[in-house]
Amino acid sequence: MRGSIPILRVGGNLLATVHIELRDKVAEAFQEDVLETIEKTGAAGLVVDISGLEVVDTYVARVLADTARMAKLMGARSVLVGMRPEVAATLVRMGYAMDGVATALNVDEALILLTAATERRI
Amino acid sequence: MALEAGDRASSTGDGEAKRGDQVLSRAEMPIACEDDVVIVRRKVRSLAQARGFDTFALAALTTATSELTRNVWVHAGRGRVLIEELTDGQRFGVRLEFRDEGPGIEDVDRALAGGFSTAKTMGLGLSGSRRLVDDFSLESKPGSGTVVRLIKWTRY
Amino acid sequence: MKQGDMMHRLRLDERELASRVAFFEISDADLRRLSSLRPLAERHTDEIVEGFYQLLLGHPETRKFFADEATIRRVKRNQRDYFLGLFTGQLDLAYVEDRLRVGAAHERIGLPPKWYLGAYRRYMQLMDQRLVAELPPTEAKDAFQSLRKLVYFDMALAIDSYVLANLDALQRHQAAIRELSTPVIRVHAGVLLLPLVGTIDSQRAEQIMEAVLVRIVDEQAKVIILDIAGVAVVDTKVADHLLKTTAAVRLLGAQTILTGISAQVARTIVQLGVDISSMHTLSRLAEGIELALDLIGKAIVKKVG
Repeated sequence: MRGSIPILRVGGNLLATVHIELRDKVAEAFQEDVLETIEKTGAAGLVVDISGLEVVDTYVARVLADTARMAKLMGARSVLVGMRPEVAATLVRMGYAMDGVATALNVDEALILLTAATERRI
Repeated sequence: MALEAGDRASSTGDGEAKRGDQVLSRAEMPIACEDDVVIVRRKVRSLAQARGFDTFALAALTTATSELTRNVWVHAGRGRVLIEELTDGQRFGVRLEFRDEGPGIEDVDRALAGGFSTAKTMGLGLSGSRRLVDDFSLESKPGSGTVVRLIKWTRY
Repeated sequence: MKQGDMMHRLRLDERELASRVAFFEISDADLRRLSSLRPLAERHTDEIVEGFYQLLLGHPETRKFFADEATIRRVKRNQRDYFLGLFTGQLDLAYVEDRLRVGAAHERIGLPPKWYLGAYRRYMQLMDQRLVAELPPTEAKDAFQSLRKLVYFDMALAIDSYVLANLDALQRHQAAIRELSTPVIRVHAGVLLLPLVGTIDSQRAEQIMEAVLVRIVDEQAKVIILDIAGVAVVDTKVADHLLKTTAAVRLLGAQTILTGISAQVARTIVQLGVDISSMHTLSRLAEGIELALDLIGKAIVKKVG
């Protein structure tokens, strides 16, 4: 379970690519992996790529939002990238706009965003 | 976020096929563990895709399926879902009927209004699902379980 | 449209067939009578078909479908079969399917419905004359009644096939209109523009949001400008659609700029209490484009020298 979702280091940031279903055990393990890695690396940013997800229901949306919140508590800013058009449309139609989570078009944009944020903080 | 609740006014009804609708296939699947959330969803997805549902309608249907299957598992522990393929002569439709013998919902109206949750996941999933489909009905009484019916039609 | 599909769309199954047969009051006796008239019908088919074509060729709008001899010969042959089909004594789904197929063929080449109804009237008149000439009065009357029932039954099918064909054409047109009504324009790399014109109802709003989201991902556009100067009515519902679209665009990682807000619309939105502070809003499109460029780190600069 731990390690099912790979987390890569990209400079001072982390990149997690969610390519499998975020079911209970997987979600829990993912969150633990993320937090442990932030602690170990001192990463200031976390990019979560969900371009592989065809369906994001409120459960998955909540897992993603919670992960961002947890990362923030540990000093890392999160950015969600790659959401598919039909996933975005569905979430919004349900009434779930994930307001608290920052988004970017792709990994490059996310890293630019995170770098700018880090620079501003300095 | 000021999103209008219940904006799919047409998404009530009784979730039953109308006279003149033809049932093309019928299948029942058990809901007994978390894996079933994905299994049921995949079944509904492949069925709908074969019937020509467009990407957006497909996402809406599979997401609603995921929500409701999870609801059954989380709140009742077990249940089942009836999956029917319909046609009204012009379009194809998928009809789902989720049944469980769980604790039931105390205040159905409030649950459907959204944002209300007895347990973590219930609130938005139920009202959200209703907004994603064309026909939706919810029957529940504390102590006698819950039945959720929905129909989604192909568009255009 | 294939006749199999037509049967499906008309929900023409055994139950529907039985229902129609009952409604047109066609009994087994009627069918038996028609079947017994077949020899008589066969004897007179040629004359009847000739008489029928006299009608068609005598009117310019219908004559044009029979341009040459080969066509006329072929059509007359088909017409014989069609006419004799009334006297098989069998009224089942195969019969219905056959009638629909012929109806669809006629609709495809553009023959107007009046052709059908006019044709049937002519048949009945021509048959009536022969029946009266060859059968005792009571029998002739009964025979004519039976024939008329089946003819009306056939006409209902013909009308159904025309209606379905029209529905198809309508759907195709609607699809084309949908395409034309969301013309997303690429103003600059990473900047899209969608001028909205006319009324925005729920269905159109859905289409707009979907078209916008797909284009943003396809082009990896960071900004989309929605210009609503041409939108007829901006009420709470429309504002809600715009908010939803903005929220969805944000989920993709892009931003929305709303331009074309008139004084009237600005007043309405504030008075309605709609909160659109999550959107960049401007009155002029030109300003919107400048803002969009700014958001992607660019600017329009005057050339030096």
